[in-house]
Amino acid sequence: MYAVDSPASPARAQQTPPAPPAHRTRRRRNRSDNRVPWLLTLPTLLILVALLAYPLYRMVVLSFQNMRLRELITGLTPPWVGFDQYTKALGDGVFWGVVARTAAFTVVSVTISVLAGLSIALLMRRVHSKVRIFMMVAMMFVWALPQLVAAQAFRWLTDSDFGVVNYVLTKLGLDYANHSWFVNPWQGWAVITTLVVWAGIPFLAISLSAGLTQVPKELIEAATVDGASSWQALRNITLPILKPLLTIVTTLSVIWNFGLFTQNWALRDGHPEPVYQTLSTFSYTQAFGQSRYSYGSAIAVITVLLMFGVMVFYIRQMFKIGEVD
Amino acid sequence: MARHDEGVVTVGRSRIGTFFANTTGIVFGLLMLFPVYWVLNTAFKPTNEVQSFTPTFLPENPTLDNFKSALGEELFLPAMVNGLIITAMAVAAALVVGFLAALAIARFAFYGRKAIILVVLAVQLVPFLALLIPLFLMMQRAQLTNSLIGVALVYLVLLLPYTVWTLRGFISGIPRELDEAAMIDGCSRPQVFWRIILPLTGPGLVATSIYGFIQAWNEFIIINTLNSPQKQNLMAWLLYNQTERGTAWGPLMAGAIITSIPVVVFFLLIQRNIATGLTAGAVKG
Repeated sequence: MYAVDSPASPARAQQTPPAPPAHRTRRRRNRSDNRVPWLLTLPTLLILVALLAYPLYRMVVLSFQNMRLRELITGLTPPWVGFDQYTKALGDGVFWGVVARTAAFTVVSVTISVLAGLSIALLMRRVHSKVRIFMMVAMMFVWALPQLVAAQAFRWLTDSDFGVVNYVLTKLGLDYANHSWFVNPWQGWAVITTLVVWAGIPFLAISLSAGLTQVPKELIEAATVDGASSWQALRNITLPILKPLLTIVTTLSVIWNFGLFTQNWALRDGHPEPVYQTLSTFSYTQAFGQSRYSYGSAIAVITVLLMFGVMVFYIRQMFKIGEVD
Repeated sequence: MARHDEGVVTVGRSRIGTFFANTTGIVFGLLMLFPVYWVLNTAFKPTNEVQSFTPTFLPENPTLDNFKSALGEELFLPAMVNGLIITAMAVAAALVVGFLAALAIARFAFYGRKAIILVVLAVQLVPFLALLIPLFLMMQRAQLTNSLIGVALVYLVLLLPYTVWTLRGFISGIPRELDEAAMIDGCSRPQVFWRIILPLTGPGLVATSIYGFIQAWNEFIIINTLNSPQKQNLMAWLLYNQTERGTAWGPLMAGAIITSIPVVVFFLLIQRNIATGLTAGAVKG
């Protein structure tokens, strides 16, 4: 009672209620105990069902139909076409190109981001505390920046006429005056990847550096005294301790980067050329640009299925770690 | 102190190594900040300096014209007001609904609890854009396209799982003994929630609603798909602005700054929660 003094002080003013819960039989209490939590969760579940589960179901149904602009306007039920949308997608070289591109981008960007994030986190342990604070502040600003704003900033940096990147490269003696970065898809994707890595580093580096504080310094010291090189200490002590966290942040990065939309969308003025399409933008443009709602849905279903393995892995990891009790 | 560091704590770390590390750290920080700095630099330049083949690294004639022109755009203020209304509705609803569910998960052992946790976790991973097609068709049928409520409803679902999950963490952090003590003192269960858990979750509610604000404020694809240009938020305005007048870099950067300010300020206020919220379990383990 005394422990709760301050937070519960208004409660103490309350007089004892006439019917204390002790009256109830054990059995009744149990039943009501089961009902109360479900009642509390009910609104959340209803919203999730209405605006998440139902759309998910609609998406799957749509992917077996052929919904076009006509059906949208007239409100008629679109014709059922079975697996046509899927066979169309799976037999289409363009679609496979998009899948391969999205996968390649994910692998490359996640690898670079995680390695960079880990290096920065390790670096932050070695630098002077003032330098560390500076690095933190810089990363916080980048992290706080809305994705679209960051994309706009990069669009401006790489502008062919007045962009500062071309200016600096030209100053360095390279011929980059009026160079357009998105003509050559490799260069364009390099810009997009730089943007994604740059924006992703703060989350990775800050999370990992928080994780690094869990690595006991004594352990590293002991190993060093025993003659381990700093590389060996990193490989055999730091990384194993960091592994659960590393797995989580890598999985999250895969999920986020696989769903790339904002960056390529904004850098290509909302009309990504075929070489800049990823699964998300492809599904979106098919549906809302070309009014092929069913084809877009089929692609979205395939996207979700492709992500499924990673998601299951993430959730299992969360349960394993015991965050979910 | 430095001697001590070199000799005992960090064997094999030379002074040159430390210097190298510090330099790398500073260069890294500067590189990270460069795009942010360049946006600020551009926003304060007059048009002739923005559209110059030899960009200067500070505005020679600093001006607020770009900000005036962004603020003076026909759709800027409506977009700001729309964004605020939508965000407020979505965040408030998510907070009320999410708090109840979080309470159930954190404070009750009941049949199905684990399933609910699984749903809340899994739902956060669903690529929301994939659902945009059916959501668009549903809103169309319910005549909620081109309305603020339709967008707010979608944002509510977007925020809800995270809200439940984070609030669960905050409520779990309140010792159960407090509940018990209050019940011994004669509080009923609803009273315990109302007088003990709710006030003690205060900081958590603030942090969660700020995070919700950021999410909803930054969203532009859903609102851009559901609503006409007159009913956009600021972020979508920024996208529209880009396609219609792609070369007006000065006002665009000024608009970007105005749009980012609330987000950046809020983000810096709750950054600790965001970092731990995403990876809490792992760090602990």
